[in-house]
Amino acid sequence: MHKAWALIRSNWLAASSYKLSFMFSFGSLILSVVPIFFISGALQKTMADVIKGQGDQYFAFLVVGLIALNVVSSTVNALPSGLQTATSTGTLEAMLATPTSLSALLAGLSGYEVLLSLLRGFVMLVAAGLLGAHVAWLRLGASIPIIALVVLAHLPIAILTAAMVLAFRTRGPLPQIVMLASTFLGGVYYPTTVIPGWIESISAFLPLTYGLKALRPVLLEGRSLTAVWRDVSILLAFTAVTLAASVVAFRAALGYARRVGNLAQY
Amino acid sequence: MAPTGATAYVTPAVSSSPAVVLRGLTKSFPKQRGWRAMFSGKARESVRALTDVSCEVRAGEFFGLLGENGAGKTTLFKILATLVTPDSGSAVVGGHDVSKEPSHVRELLAPVIADERSLHWRLSGLENMRLFAALHGLRGAQATRRIEELLALVNLVEAADRLVSGYSSGMKQRLLVARTLLARPSVLLLDEPTRSLDPISARSFRQFLREDVALAQGCTVLLATHNAEEAFELCDRVGVLHRGRLVATGATPELAREVGEDRFAIWIRPADQAAIDTLAARGVMREVKVAEPDAEGWSRIECDLRGGLDGAAEAIAFFSLRGVSVARCEPVKLSLADLLERVLARHANA
Repeated sequence: MHKAWALIRSNWLAASSYKLSFMFSFGSLILSVVPIFFISGALQKTMADVIKGQGDQYFAFLVVGLIALNVVSSTVNALPSGLQTATSTGTLEAMLATPTSLSALLAGLSGYEVLLSLLRGFVMLVAAGLLGAHVAWLRLGASIPIIALVVLAHLPIAILTAAMVLAFRTRGPLPQIVMLASTFLGGVYYPTTVIPGWIESISAFLPLTYGLKALRPVLLEGRSLTAVWRDVSILLAFTAVTLAASVVAFRAALGYARRVGNLAQY
Repeated sequence: MAPTGATAYVTPAVSSSPAVVLRGLTKSFPKQRGWRAMFSGKARESVRALTDVSCEVRAGEFFGLLGENGAGKTTLFKILATLVTPDSGSAVVGGHDVSKEPSHVRELLAPVIADERSLHWRLSGLENMRLFAALHGLRGAQATRRIEELLALVNLVEAADRLVSGYSSGMKQRLLVARTLLARPSVLLLDEPTRSLDPISARSFRQFLREDVALAQGCTVLLATHNAEEAFELCDRVGVLHRGRLVATGATPELAREVGEDRFAIWIRPADQAAIDTLAARGVMREVKVAEPDAEGWSRIECDLRGGLDGAAEAIAFFSLRGVSVARCEPVKLSLADLLERVLARHANA
């Protein structure tokens, strides 16, 4: 844990050394809530019926969906990006030469981006709250385990993509497929119940679907975690199975990279 | 005897116990293939990077691996650093096999990644050291003490709080070494550490490596280089790698003498061909190349002189007796290409 934190801290120090860009990214994040506020206000009447049970206000519904999508995007992309950067600069070779466990290395390489996306999500939620979003602030604590599960459920995709980077020097199509499917079929802009026909069944395979089904009732309607236990359980099961499989795949990729000489080749 | 022109360094205490043992180490890498080849059903071709490499490096020794680009030096280092697995043979570091006990090997051996990009440029030197201290498991006061010690060793205390992006190449190289020394490794791998340095910085960096790293820290050092002068200046023993094969290994003074130290350039006037032929017939001179006289009539002769300096004295005396003026006589530094040519010729004759 100490080693992962050291890596996260270094990434934070490096990113915050670009002071203007760092401050600007938060400023633009706050401003980005304004158009969402107006567009969702215009669609409030149309969406009011279909979002029942997941908050009564389309603005809050949409903000929570976008925050979750940003967190998913960071989770899926941070590790492969971190690995690609570390490989191309040669820092990976230096880090692999230290007695650091693989899990600490992976957590350290991706941790900063994921934590930053959570911080950005909180800032966005506060900005939305200031604009009148109906948020059950007292349930913020209860929503943390759900967000953590959303991150964990998408970690296997990040690990599989990182395995591709290690073995073949390319990310492959997996992260794009997952992000595209999650954006349009994961319930970010509209509940999955409004998706027509067989396409809706695809959303059943997306962890974000269950994450948002659990998150919105808790964060927007103030329900307890037990009220959403079914979706939380599915997320947990999904995480357990895919995480184990992805770790096996990553170890195999590492062995392959050592055999063909891809590891730390830049 | 130290090679002529080499900087005189203090010799470290070399133990008789081996720090690194290589036995029949062989490694091939698969070749990239096109779409047609992929579906042709033919077996995938491979490139042999190392073939049956065997040698021992003793504890405390400064061992040089000399070879041209693509000779297999980096592959060998990556195998030792547990980043590449060998196809066959074994590499043992401090009694631990790199394939079977990689984590033990990583505790003993550290590669100095000579590429400056492997530092975090947007962090200060101190922060770079803090990060790697943590990755090596050093914490709190222990980490702080070790970092201070090493920054002082590499003379970067004053620059410690500056961003690495503002460091010179020499400073970055010294920081890379300090970073590697954090965990007190017993074996250091240096892969062409002076390649990005100017000649003056390279010389001072070599002195730092020999005296402050190898000697003061008591490390066994393996240095990969394509610079014959650097290898002969720094190393106790040198191994010559050529196309993945270790074609020669020996103590630096012996190897230098055997393959290059007898090579001299002599300036004479006039170019008395009969005198040269006599010296060649007596076996004093070999492989003689006589250049055209310059505007003042001086001809440069490049040749191997039997017995090195003794042979030079004999040749000068002979020329003087024949009334031939000798203006200058000096050893010729062999280029890597010349050295390889000689080693390979000797290898073929053997």
